[in-house]
Amino acid sequence: MKAETREVTISVNGQRMTRRTEVRTLLSDFLRHDLGLTGTHVGCEHGVCGACTVLVDGVPMRSCLALAVQADGRAVETVEGLAPEGELSEMQQAMRDEHGLQCGFCTPGILMSMLAAERAGVSCAEACGDVLGGHVCRCTGYQGIRAAVRRRWATLPAARGEETPA
Amino acid sequence: MNRLVGARVARINDPRLLTGRGTYVDDISLPGMLHAVMVRASIAHGRVTRFDAAEALADEDVHAVITPEQAMARTRDLPLVWLAPEQRHTHVPVATDEVRYVGQPLGVVVADTRASAEDALDVIDVGYDELDAVVDAEAALADDAPLLYPGWGTNVVASYDIGDTGEEIEPVFAGAAHVVERRLQVQRLAVNPIEPRGLVAQWDAGTESLTVWISTQVSHHIRDHLAIVLGLRADQVRVIARDVGGGFGSKEHLYADEALACLAAMTTGRPVKWIEDRGEHFGATFHARDVVHRARLALDENGRFLAIHSDIVGNCGAHASNVGTGPFRISSIMLPGPYRFERAGTRIRGVVTTTTPTGAMRGFGMQEASWVRERLVDEAARELGADPVELRLRNMLGPEDLPYETRTYQRYDSGDYPEALRRVGAEIDKRSRPSEGRIRRGVGVATHVEFTGLGPSKMQQLVGFHLGGFETGVVRVEPDGSVVVSSGVVGMGQGIETTLAQLAAEQLHVPMSAVTVRLGDTATAPYSASGSIASRSMVVGGGAVVRAGGRLRERLVRIAAHRLEADPGDIEVEEGVFSVKGVPGSSLTLAELAGHAWLGWNLPPGERADLEEKDVHDPENVSYSYASHAAAVAVDLDTGQVRVEDYWVVHDAGTVVNPMIADGQVVGGVAHGIGIALHEEMRYDPAGQPITTSYLDYVMPTAEDIPDMDVSHLCTPAPHIPGGMKGLGEGGTILSPVTVGNAVAAAVPEIAEKLVETPLSPSRMWTLIHEAGLHDEAGPHDDPTSKE
Ligand code: FES
Ligand code: FES
Repeated sequence: MKAETREVTISVNGQRMTRRTEVRTLLSDFLRHDLGLTGTHVGCEHGVCGACTVLVDGVPMRSCLALAVQADGRAVETVEGLAPEGELSEMQQAMRDEHGLQCGFCTPGILMSMLAAERAGVSCAEACGDVLGGHVCRCTGYQGIRAAVRRRWATLPAARGEETPA
Repeated sequence: MNRLVGARVARINDPRLLTGRGTYVDDISLPGMLHAVMVRASIAHGRVTRFDAAEALADEDVHAVITPEQAMARTRDLPLVWLAPEQRHTHVPVATDEVRYVGQPLGVVVADTRASAEDALDVIDVGYDELDAVVDAEAALADDAPLLYPGWGTNVVASYDIGDTGEEIEPVFAGAAHVVERRLQVQRLAVNPIEPRGLVAQWDAGTESLTVWISTQVSHHIRDHLAIVLGLRADQVRVIARDVGGGFGSKEHLYADEALACLAAMTTGRPVKWIEDRGEHFGATFHARDVVHRARLALDENGRFLAIHSDIVGNCGAHASNVGTGPFRISSIMLPGPYRFERAGTRIRGVVTTTTPTGAMRGFGMQEASWVRERLVDEAARELGADPVELRLRNMLGPEDLPYETRTYQRYDSGDYPEALRRVGAEIDKRSRPSEGRIRRGVGVATHVEFTGLGPSKMQQLVGFHLGGFETGVVRVEPDGSVVVSSGVVGMGQGIETTLAQLAAEQLHVPMSAVTVRLGDTATAPYSASGSIASRSMVVGGGAVVRAGGRLRERLVRIAAHRLEADPGDIEVEEGVFSVKGVPGSSLTLAELAGHAWLGWNLPPGERADLEEKDVHDPENVSYSYASHAAAVAVDLDTGQVRVEDYWVVHDAGTVVNPMIADGQVVGGVAHGIGIALHEEMRYDPAGQPITTSYLDYVMPTAEDIPDMDVSHLCTPAPHIPGGMKGLGEGGTILSPVTVGNAVAAAVPEIAEKLVETPLSPSRMWTLIHEAGLHDEAGPHDDPTSKE
């Protein structure tokens, strides 16, 4: 049975990528299997664990709940784009310093949500609360991740450290 | 010299995991690769009468459908690992047309893509003759219960006693001044690593060899069992675990569906990928726990413990798993915990039911034992009006009592059990947040001794555990001075690559950056039967690396002494440079030493050329870690919600190689246990249909459930382990459910007697609170302002 296909063009981490894919292809599968960007992980495929989180036009999205065709013409950011090869971003470094990851399977999704939170100027409390609350990690017990968030947020412009936007 | 053991060293594999450059099994893609999905039973009990794949096979995307009949013809039975005395199952078929649980693999579809394989699944017509289901283990013991294996005449797969039995122990209960008796239960759980199981299998027809990349904790065990079930020689199978996204016990043996996916690769001649989805995980990956204890604790008039006994009915699921009744057995041998008892024992009945088999999960049997013992002890304190910490201390083994032989055959090695409890006791004394309105607060403690570092092989033989308990460590200095460590244990997030590198670097006196650790590939790793289970990687595997590294250093020192014309006793080693004490300029780098050694040049008489040492470490004894925990909880009487507000751990796992990793293991373990305490539960309907098959129904602990914890370590080295390490991956999970339970009992003493079963979910809690009449004085609508 041949499923319908369509051409999809996405800017991924600043690079334009065009592939023909089945219209039913999930964005997560498109990134992982059509484009070979396997840093985005799939833990539940039903929108709860958050492992598959990527940014679409800057907004965090569960890529397992989106179709690749829905991202056509948009800009997608994934974990592979967080730092130049051989380097760690400040948040990645904070995660390493604070032991915010063990098996690392949930980690890319958390990093993407935190990047969006950072850009949106949310408070440290909200990043540790609502933002991290959207991710399931079986390994760490979240303590190391919260410590990493605090370490990262401590380096951000002062106002973000405290206030929670409405 | 550099002290790496005990240092907070950054993990060596973090950079690749943080940048999305890890290689988990689903990241592997091979040219020409096909995708498999399993055809699984949709009923709980019956026989397959029809399996029609004609329509599926007509689809050009579909390459093969392996039917139950074909699978039965091409596979041999899977041997079980842990056999109880006279256990009725010693092997189980990889494929059968007899269905005993929803999710049981029946056949395989292989197609160009996973989506097309799933399409094919929709049009495969499976018909059944259905039989009655039985989900509950106690119900399965009833005379009129449906029998899963009618030839047995019972649903009991194994039954035996541990420790003191009836005549030895009953008189103690009969004569005791005080007996606490409860029916205590631990719910069925799904393990849920965030990376599901999966594999990529490639059959090379030219060399007749099978290569399997798989998410596993036990590469060699998978290899050996794949060879058996597929009728291959062990040397024809290579198993490779790359990055593993968590195991927690669910990836510690070969599953039937994994064997079938490999069969699909052999059948089609093409590489085949199979990845479990989350819904499948809830039915296909072995569950854990699901056990009822009728347990009793006897005390004398002075509150001295006399005896503990439990009558255990354990739900094994559809067949004995690889570990069979093992969890119930470990519950039994660890039931006495850190206390002195005159008598202790259990009766075990392992029962088959039409549910997913139960097997290993973090805390294996010990979490259940702690739930039982520490609830009983807390209830004894409440009934006697004693302080729970004081009552425990009164009965606890002191450091002067160790080593100590328990009534359940354990020889506790070392430590100071009361010190751990006193320390958490002091912490909770500092804290008192009062109850406010309808929010009740309470603090609970619990304590345990833990069986870690599975070995020795002799003991495993005694208890019918058909895997070796040793580990082999190989440490090699390459001609350029780089260091390679290999071990049969597997990295799955616990940081073992880093801690093994620390041990080797410390032994050789080289920087961490000089060391590479290679794990997980049966073609290059030394043989490991048991692999990374049972908190043994650091203890048994690490011990081997310590000894191999130490011997290699001694050889390097001898070679350096020879070349520098000095006495070996005068050689100093620092950061990979060997020099003669007090003789400036007289030194050789490791690379200079190694370069010549591998040429066979300039060696002292009798010295071998290769710079490789291998150590086989079969420990003399289990390593007994221990801990005390405390939790402070708030209970909302109106909603039944329990919140853990504070948490303290004092833990002793012997030598702590990396405190950052050690804390992470403990904290992660406690979080897992808080999930068990409050949320997680795998449920079935009476027809045997699983009803918690997504994260919407099966509630995993998230950040808001888990407070930041206060973790500290006592460090009493294991006297019998090179390096002194004890296991620490499971202790957090073992003790936290009952610690939370005891705190809830302290917060709401009116329901303490009924706190016998987890999870303490809002609905269970609300019901208990309601039944205790605590909604009578102030209903939820009377005083809404009192809520948090
Ligand atoms: S994989 Fe998308 S939320 Fe879990
Ligand atoms: S680090 Fe393993 S799931 Fe989060």
